[in-house]
Amino acid sequence: MIVALVVVAAVVVLALVGAVAWREHRQFVDAEENRRRDEELHRRFEDEVAESETRLRLSLDAITQGVVMADTAGNVLYRNPYAHQYTEARHGEALVEAAVAELLAEAAQGRVVEREVELFGPPRQCLFVSAMPLRLEGKDHGSVALIDDITEPQRLDAMRRDFVANISHELRTPMGALSLLAETLAGETDPEVVSRLAARVQSEAIRLSDIMDDLLELSRIESNEASERAPVAVQHVIGDALSRIKPAAEEKEVPIQTVLPALDLVVRADRRQLTSAVFNLLDNAVKYSEATRPVRVTARLEGEWVEVEVRDQGYGIPMSHQERIFERFYQVDRSRGRTDGGVGLGLAIVRHVATNHGGEVHVESTEGEGSSFTLAVPVGAQV
Amino acid sequence: MGELRKSFHEELDEIQAGIVRMGALVTEAVPRATEALLESNLELAQQLITADDQLDDLSVYLEERCHHVLALQAPMASDLRALSSALRLNAELERSGDLAVNIAKATRRIYGTQYDATLRGVLVRMSEEACRLMRLAIDSYVDGNAGLAAALNDIDDQLDGLNRDCVQAVFQAHNDGAIDLQAAVQLCLISRYYERIGDHAVNIGERVVYMVTGWLPEHTGAARLKIRERNQPEETDEE
Repeated sequence: MIVALVVVAAVVVLALVGAVAWREHRQFVDAEENRRRDEELHRRFEDEVAESETRLRLSLDAITQGVVMADTAGNVLYRNPYAHQYTEARHGEALVEAAVAELLAEAAQGRVVEREVELFGPPRQCLFVSAMPLRLEGKDHGSVALIDDITEPQRLDAMRRDFVANISHELRTPMGALSLLAETLAGETDPEVVSRLAARVQSEAIRLSDIMDDLLELSRIESNEASERAPVAVQHVIGDALSRIKPAAEEKEVPIQTVLPALDLVVRADRRQLTSAVFNLLDNAVKYSEATRPVRVTARLEGEWVEVEVRDQGYGIPMSHQERIFERFYQVDRSRGRTDGGVGLGLAIVRHVATNHGGEVHVESTEGEGSSFTLAVPVGAQV
Repeated sequence: MGELRKSFHEELDEIQAGIVRMGALVTEAVPRATEALLESNLELAQQLITADDQLDDLSVYLEERCHHVLALQAPMASDLRALSSALRLNAELERSGDLAVNIAKATRRIYGTQYDATLRGVLVRMSEEACRLMRLAIDSYVDGNAGLAAALNDIDDQLDGLNRDCVQAVFQAHNDGAIDLQAAVQLCLISRYYERIGDHAVNIGERVVYMVTGWLPEHTGAARLKIRERNQPEETDEE
């Protein structure tokens, strides 16, 4: 009996110990599982943060604007690749980095600051640098600076302003002259004076009509309207242009020398447009050369390109104007343009013809020594 | 010690960045001065004169910083040469900036002068050449390129030639009655200023050669003098 009781007691004790051990084991397993789950959550959270940071960084890297971030002490923490080009820059561009550092220091004081950095280069550039503090709910998180290249927008803006001013000016001048001449004519009885005034009226009307013709030609070329592509002998194109320029060249006593290619040098192009481009180059060369200074026109095949070069020994173009001469109505020297009758559309036409044919036009010029314009068009110019 | 050296080299890097910044201010000032001159732009000329204070300020700051490092770190060998060269470069660049200011001031004195195309062409080419030399000098300094630095003297010959052409063109314009005597004198001086900027670039080149190799052109002359002095007593003994 006692033995049986002892056995029962032992079994009960064992069962109790077992139950306690089991419970502890379960608790341990549960805690382990919780810890693992927490770790997993933590890792996933960390991955998400890293992923979000990578995404943010890649987005900043892709921006075509410089971004520089600094901590509250002004130490730079991050630069995107666009801003990175200025970190070890030399010459003018080294000034951009200095401007960024100065503006970041000011932004760290809680101010929003901006500055335009104009660089004479070359190349000439204009950069807009701005910096602002990074603040959230009254807490400082450092500052950020942005670098924007505003060279092109500024150039386009200047071009638009000049275009409107120039076209009104170019049209107004002959109009004003016409109105005055008509007024004088109305009260004039002397036939000699009347005929002289009538001649002036006619020349002003021709001038107006020339401007209109040039504008229409430019607009036609710009819209690529009625562009007929056919094989054209380069020699014929130059021949046509030469016969158009001949009277003006003879009048100014400017000799024109030609180095023509073989007749079989053929380019697929719009003959009228190409002739107009070569004529305009010749017209400028003659216009801006003194008597007896020769103008030389050379056509040659360079690989897959046909190049027509017009070289003069004229006044030359100042360096600061060379980037802008292909704009409509742009004139280097307004007073000279007026006496020679140019309105500044010729080179705009040349550039558009070149673009229409998938080609380009280059200028090399030194003041006092002359200029050289090269029109390059691919042999099999495609539309 | 390692930490100390690290901070020393950081100091050297910052001094180098300061010199590069001074070079940038000079290479930006020269084309600005030329534009002010050729376009008779008095506003730009004044801006340039005022902006030179920035160069002076930076120059004073860099000089003090160099002295500070020299006194506290007592550098040796190439480190010492880098610092003493930075001090010399600082002075050369500061003077080059002053020459650009001189051009701006001359612009004010001859305001309204019309330059013919030949004169304009030569002036633009001188400005471009002076800038090119200065850029090459700074490149040789940053890259520690002694070969390029040594070549600057020969490259400068072109600018010297342009200086002669410019003076000739000024005489011609004056003879033709296109410019008056005062303008002619100022233009000859301006030509000289460009030429001097080129000379300062050559000086920078010589200092860069010294920084990299420890050798100066003056060493050759000094060595010649020593040889002469050594030989002198022997010759008298023979007599």
